[in-house]
Amino acid sequence: MFLALREMKHAKMRYVLIGLIMVLISFLVLFVSGLAKGLASDNASSIQTMNADYVVLDKQSDQRINRSQLTDEQLKEILHSTNQKQRTEFGLQMTTVQKNGEAKKTDSTLFAVDPKGFIAPQSIDGQSLKEGNKNEAVGDLSLKDEGFQIGDRLKEETTGTVLTLIGFTENQSFSHSPVLHVSLKTWEAMHDGKQSVNAAALKADSGKAKEIEKLVPGVEVISKNDALKSIPGYKEEQGSLLMMIVFLFVIAAFVLSVFFYVITLQKVNQFGVLKAMGAQSGYLSRTVMYQVLSLTVVSLAISILLTFTVSQLLPASMPFLLNVPLVAGCSVLFLTVSVIGSLISLYQVIKIDATEAIGRAS
Amino acid sequence: MKENKLTLQDVKKTFGDGDQQVEVLKGITLEVKAGEFVAVVGPSGSGKSTFLSVSGALLSPTSGRIMIGNQDISTLHAKELNQIRLKNIGFVFQSANLIPYLTVRDQLLLLSELEHQTHKEAEKKADGLLERLGLLHRKNHYPEQLSGGERQRTAIARAWMNDPEIILADEPTASLDSERGRTVVQMLADEVKLREKAAIMVTHDQRMLDLCNRVVYMEDGQLISKPSV
Ligand SMILES: Nc1ncnc2c1ncn2[C@@H]1O[C@H](COP(=O)(O)OP(=O)(O)OP(=O)(O)O)[C@@H](O)[C@H]1O
Ligand SMILES: [Mg+2]
Repeated sequence: MFLALREMKHAKMRYVLIGLIMVLISFLVLFVSGLAKGLASDNASSIQTMNADYVVLDKQSDQRINRSQLTDEQLKEILHSTNQKQRTEFGLQMTTVQKNGEAKKTDSTLFAVDPKGFIAPQSIDGQSLKEGNKNEAVGDLSLKDEGFQIGDRLKEETTGTVLTLIGFTENQSFSHSPVLHVSLKTWEAMHDGKQSVNAAALKADSGKAKEIEKLVPGVEVISKNDALKSIPGYKEEQGSLLMMIVFLFVIAAFVLSVFFYVITLQKVNQFGVLKAMGAQSGYLSRTVMYQVLSLTVVSLAISILLTFTVSQLLPASMPFLLNVPLVAGCSVLFLTVSVIGSLISLYQVIKIDATEAIGRAS
Repeated sequence: MKENKLTLQDVKKTFGDGDQQVEVLKGITLEVKAGEFVAVVGPSGSGKSTFLSVSGALLSPTSGRIMIGNQDISTLHAKELNQIRLKNIGFVFQSANLIPYLTVRDQLLLLSELEHQTHKEAEKKADGLLERLGLLHRKNHYPEQLSGGERQRTAIARAWMNDPEIILADEPTASLDSERGRTVVQMLADEVKLREKAAIMVTHDQRMLDLCNRVVYMEDGQLISKPSV
């Protein structure tokens, strides 16, 4: 790209400055995206990482797992129309616990699962839940940071049951609180068998999901994604961050398009000369495109580096999560946006007439 | 008899439409042969620049026939005209119109780049041209670092770069003092003779006319052989 490179070299300052703006914008995009992702995980990782496709809820629950109650009849029907590998029921309750009789209360969400079912978590420290043992619990790793240890005795507030912490799990939070997993047997005992389960997780295709919705009266089958959105606060957090990201992309598109529009305006006479000498519109458009793309790619590379550096410096408690798919997605979107932003300049370049060159005194 | 480099037959050019129509060229017929250097003079607004644009495939004529060498270009499309300009026509504009971010040498190499020629050959050719026009010591300078005459000479070197059949120059000496202007025109004349090509130059400067083989006068969109005054 004969012209593109030489021009950028000659007008270094101009392109470095616009590149700097692009670095800042794309850095902000990546950072806010990482924050959104981190908050999502901090909020609801127990649902995000749940090894299931659909959730069966009662119809009056407004798609909220914590409001849902499945009746015994409904559960029976669900168990009847699916096999062990396709469903596992679970209970959920937001509560507080007290450690070893201390006065301090800690928010937590109780998750009752079948220890042999497919949504039972594996402990990364200590033991996992076992079928026969009662009144045992495994908790999210963040509890460790709050001073909890394996072997601690936790008093659950509403029922007064005392649970023994036997292990720690990873990525298990619900509505920003750490999840304590207990077995369904423990759950039943805690509630004297009066409390039924809240919902059932399904590992099945959409056909099966629809079938169950039709077959079992009074239930609704929603995707895991919809279940996520209905967690208190989830939609609001993600929505406002998403709006920021969208705006940043729009700003990036505008900044780039205005910059190249003005530069192209300045070069109308020059492009006229080039066309008079026999340069095709296509060649000149490719030159502009090459400049836009190389500017975007270099800016992106710098801001990705910057983002990863900054994410290393962040305190561990800050919810920030940046992975390769997210960075790749943002980058592709950023490139697309910059190409769209340059279209107006391309249109100008194509429109410029070769006669601009002749009989003019500028 | 020498071959025709440029032939115009009853070329007319009208600008605008409806009530606003202006006929700028009113039937121009002209032949320029190999080795000929033709000067076009005439009052401002008489249509000289338009004549040059039409001859150089920058504008298409409203009617009439234009041939470059043996090729009729009156019916070609914009894209084909681009190719004609690139391969067969060299322009020298009133103000040199160099590309500000290219060095003198790159100004010439750009043309071979547009024509996808090999770099080695082009570099040799560019250096040869720069040497003949006395610019070799300036080859790595940008236009802003050149004097007016050097810029015009660069523009002339650029116009010759792709071995065009004909050079079209629109007041190439307008921004130069008469001495410098004369050297520039002299170089143009020498190149035309040396290469057996053709050139047309629009000029206001009477003192340049003795360097040309032929002078034609443009008045109100028509070519006449003697000025009416
Ligand atoms: N694109 C156009 N649209 C309408 N009228 C035009 C256009 N280009 C030129 N004209 C008209 O054609 C006439 C001749 O213009 P041209 O530029 O050819 O004159 P010229 O002989 O080169 O003048 P000068 O010596 O001042 O450069 C002028 O009256 C001008 O207004
Ligand atoms: Mg003119």
